[in-house]
Parts: sequence; C-alpha cells; structure tokens
Amino acid sequence: MSDERQIAAMPRPEPWRDTGYWGPTDPDAHPAVRAIREQFPDAYIDAYSFRDEMTVRVERPRYRDVIQFLRDHPDLQYTMLSDETAVDMLRLRDDPRFDVVAQLYSLRRRQRLRVKTGVNDGELVPSLVPVFAAAGWLEREIYDMFGIVFEGHPDLRRILLPEDWDEGHPLRKDYPLRGYREYVQPGFEAPAPRVRSRLRRP
Amino acid sequence: MSLEITEPTPVIISEERQVSDTRRELVLNMGPQHPSTHGVLRVRLTLEGETITGCDPVIGYLHRGVEKLGESKRYAQFVPWTDRTDYVAAPSNNLGYVLTVEKLLGIEAPERAQYWRMIMAELARLASHLVWLGTHALDIGALSMSLYCFREREMILDIFEKFCGARLTTNMMEIGGFSRPIPPDLPDMIRDFLAVFPKRQREYEDMLSANPIWLARTRGVGVIEPDVAINYGLTGACLRGSGVNYDVRKAQPYLFYDRVDFEVPLGTHGDVYDRYLVRMEEMRQSLKIIQQCLDQVPTDGPLKLAESNYVIPPHDTVLTTAEDMQRHFIWVIKGFSPPKGEVYLAIEHSKGELGHYIVSDGSPIPYRLRIRTPDFVNLQSLPYMAEGAMLADVVALIGTIDIVLGSVDR
Repeated sequence: MSDERQIAAMPRPEPWRDTGYWGPTDPDAHPAVRAIREQFPDAYIDAYSFRDEMTVRVERPRYRDVIQFLRDHPDLQYTMLSDETAVDMLRLRDDPRFDVVAQLYSLRRRQRLRVKTGVNDGELVPSLVPVFAAAGWLEREIYDMFGIVFEGHPDLRRILLPEDWDEGHPLRKDYPLRGYREYVQPGFEAPAPRVRSRLRRP
Repeated sequence: MSLEITEPTPVIISEERQVSDTRRELVLNMGPQHPSTHGVLRVRLTLEGETITGCDPVIGYLHRGVEKLGESKRYAQFVPWTDRTDYVAAPSNNLGYVLTVEKLLGIEAPERAQYWRMIMAELARLASHLVWLGTHALDIGALSMSLYCFREREMILDIFEKFCGARLTTNMMEIGGFSRPIPPDLPDMIRDFLAVFPKRQREYEDMLSANPIWLARTRGVGVIEPDVAINYGLTGACLRGSGVNYDVRKAQPYLFYDRVDFEVPLGTHGDVYDRYLVRMEEMRQSLKIIQQCLDQVPTDGPLKLAESNYVIPPHDTVLTTAEDMQRHFIWVIKGFSPPKGEVYLAIEHSKGELGHYIVSDGSPIPYRLRIRTPDFVNLQSLPYMAEGAMLADVVALIGTIDIVLGSVDR
C-alpha cells in the first residue's frame, strides 16, 4: 500500500504538457519537421505546436510524397495512418478553403504527427491509398462530407450518404444544419412547418 | 443543385451472371436486415459457388450526422451525443470526448475523478466485450453464450445505473470531473462483480475455447498479417490479434494507466480465434485494472475541478453564493470559450483507438468535431478477409471485427 501511495504522491507534470506523445514541442527540434524541411524545402509551409501536438503544413501537390517519406524514413517510421479528415475553413480564412488533415502514428517510436494541406473547391488532392490502405474509406468519407476529390483513389464513391444523394456535401459550413428541405415519404402527411431556432447559427 | 427527390436506386437482392462457359457468379445482398450484421450493415457479396470473390460493405443506414450536430452545439452539450455513437460502451465514448475537450482547455480533473473514470471505462470495456462475445458466438451457432453474457452484462449495467442513473446511454462523464457523489455502496457492488466474474468467464472458456465446432469455425479464418493490419490502420483486438503491440493505454497512457499494472495480450496467427483469445484475456486484464483502481482511489476528496470557468459550479454553492450563481448562469447560457487551436486525443476504446479531433475557433461551439471511430476503420478490412473465404465465414468475420453500426455510421 505504501508503494502505491508513493506512486500516487509523485508530482504529475502540468496537464497536457511535455507528454512527449507528439515529440518535441519546438518545431526546430522536432526530427520529423526537420526532415521534411530538408527533403521538401519547396513544399514545407510551416509547423506549429499546440498543447504539445505538432502540426506540419505542406503544399498540396507533395502531400502524398511527404507522408510516404514519413512512413519510409528509417528514423521516423510513421507507419500508421490513424485518421484522415478535412476541415472546412470557410469562416476562418479565405484561401485555401479546406484543410485535409492526416494523423500519423509511429508504432516504433510511439509518437504522433499531424500533416495538413490546404485545398480549394474543385482542386485535386493526391490520394493516400497507395501509401496507406486505411485511407480508402477515410477519403471516401471526406469526399462524401466535403466534396473534396482525391486523385488516384481507386473507388471514390459516397459512403455514408446514399449514392443518389444530390444535395451536396453536409459537413461544409455553408450547408444548413437541417438540410435544404424535408423529405416527405410517399403515403405520409407533410411534416409540420419548421420552427425557427432561437439561436441563430449559420 | 437540384432539390427534387430522385428515384432511389432499386436494391437488387440477388443477381446471377454467366461469366464464361464454365463459370457463373452470384451477386448476393446480405443485410441490412440480417441478424448477424449487428444492426444495419449491408454487404454486397459476389459468389462463385460458395467462395466469395467480391465483397463490398455498404454502410450509412444509421448515419445521423453526429459530427455536424457537434458543430452546432456547445462543448458540454455534446456529451450525451457521444453515448449514441457506440451505444454498447457509452462511458468510453464519454471519456474520449471529455478528455479531448479537457486537453483543449488545458485542465485536468482531480485524482479521485480520474480513478473513477478509469473504473467506469474498464467496466464499459467489459460490457462491450460481453456483447461482442455473446453475439459473435450466437452468429456462429452457440446460442447459449449470448444468454450467459447478457446475464453478466446486467450486473455491469446495474453498476452504471447505481452510479449515474442510466444503463445504456449513460452520459456519466462531465468536463472537469463528476458532479454527483459516488454512491457509498458502489465500491462493494463492483467488488462483488469482480468476485463473481472470473468464475463465470472460465465457464465461457470451457464452453468455447476447446469446442471443436468453435475451433473449426474460427481457426485459420480471416487471417490478417501484421503488416497488412498496420496498413489498414486496424486498432484494438483486430491489430493485437495479429501480434502487433499497440495499446493506447500502454503506448500513450492517459488517466492513470501508467500507475496500474496490466498486460497487453497479443495473438500470433491473426485469425478469428486469436482475436477471440485476445479479447478474453483483455477482459481478465480489465478486472485487474479495476481491482487496482479500487485499491488506489482516494476515498474522499474533490470529484470535480473547482474554481474553473470551464467547469459547471457545484450545485450547493450555486444556490448559496452569488459568484457561483453567476458563473453557473454564464456557463449554461453562453457556454465557455476555449482557446483557439486543435487537438487530437486517442483513447483505447473496447474496439480500438477512439480519436476525437476538435478544431476550436475560440467560440463556445466546436468549429470542427471529428470522431475517429475504431470500427469504421476496422470494418474496412472486411473485404480483405472475406475474399477467398466461404460464404458461411462472413458472419464470423463480421463478428470478429466487433462493429456497432451506430459507431460506424455516426
């Protein structure tokens, strides 16, 4: 019991700081950031850290190359794609409109890294499917929800919404929360008119 | 953009095609109303005889737009919605979201609350694994297993009910800790469960582990090699069954998982049977964690972070002091505004890595709320496992991935 109490009494680091789960918090000291900067000087935009999480932003045409480099680099070995998603930056900045975000994880070094690239509506993003099979459905979901088209994806179809969904892409910020219209099922009465929400939200 | 409803594509139940003079193939539609698909998964199978040559899971029948809803609600309002993603392990979902918001805010709950969160998350893992075991065995043909498993799950749900008043959609975690006190007899209730469960679990293993039918249906079926598993981004028992050592609780400990002693079971063959063994051992390790947490948790002390504008003030001071009443009013009416930034936090859910990615623009509503559910990514490996397998194996393969469609479709 005394051991357990001692362990419990050990000073905890300040919450969510210096965990080391994302590597050093200084971009200049982070090995992955330095490697990207050396290897892709023209594609590297910037890197920043928030709550110990390191984010690297790269140019869109080299997005796949950077991630493949991070996977194959012998000292970095970001061998797992945890997540790939997108963010519609409509209200936060003008250009580019979307961010495509990949969360990488290194099984060997037990560290994460986030790689971001910006894309405008109608532009193509290099698909990660040749690098990570996990990207297949994740990119289908991004296409479904944001309408971002991935170049080199073998099977880019809608995944969560029906194949014949023709109202656009719901996670875009200009898509209304309740959709554009209400569907009336054949044989049922039309629903009551929509009540305007008290809180005005875009 | 047209706003007219287009005619829905007719669903073809089955279709037979003559590929060549000697080969015929059958396109068979399994689900969405098939009992072994754990909800509303639909799998479009291409068969040649009884061998599967093509497999295309069709998901989205339970899509509710949880991420879009999250981008319209204040941070604290979204916690009940996380229950509805993976409803068989609701406390784990609460935990993942709450921890991510706490990371965004830069706060940490008191020690006692963290221990109770661990206990509840491990109980949720047990509850989820029991549902998995029951339904997985039921799909393969062992009907009695599901009855036994749900009997034990009932005890866990009673603990949840005692703790927070709800059994399925618990909504038990709050940002900053717990508002409600721990019921005084709750530790004894959990200890009773810990005393009963190992014997019951041995009964399950007696029924399944050496059962010739179970072995024939699971051994060598759905093999995933370690490098393929990593490439597919599998997590949880699907990855560890292939022998890859990745458990978020060990790799990047959150809460107090670095203070408890437990082991991460690994498989060797990567087949359905190994994943079964891994999950069974995980249940035993969960009991070990709960036992240690009960021994280590302080019996008194704060359950909730005090003096933080990010946390709802305690009920009694809201009624007696003006400051807390104002804070409470602001917290409820306006919500709190976290700093600008983005966080991704992964926890070890019963099904794998559950990640929440929140982008904050400094307003009380998340700008982007992404839920990386483990079973959505894991289900992607179904075509890899199914191609070349027999039709009857598909139910075993769907069962072994351990999907909950509410979590896949979100």
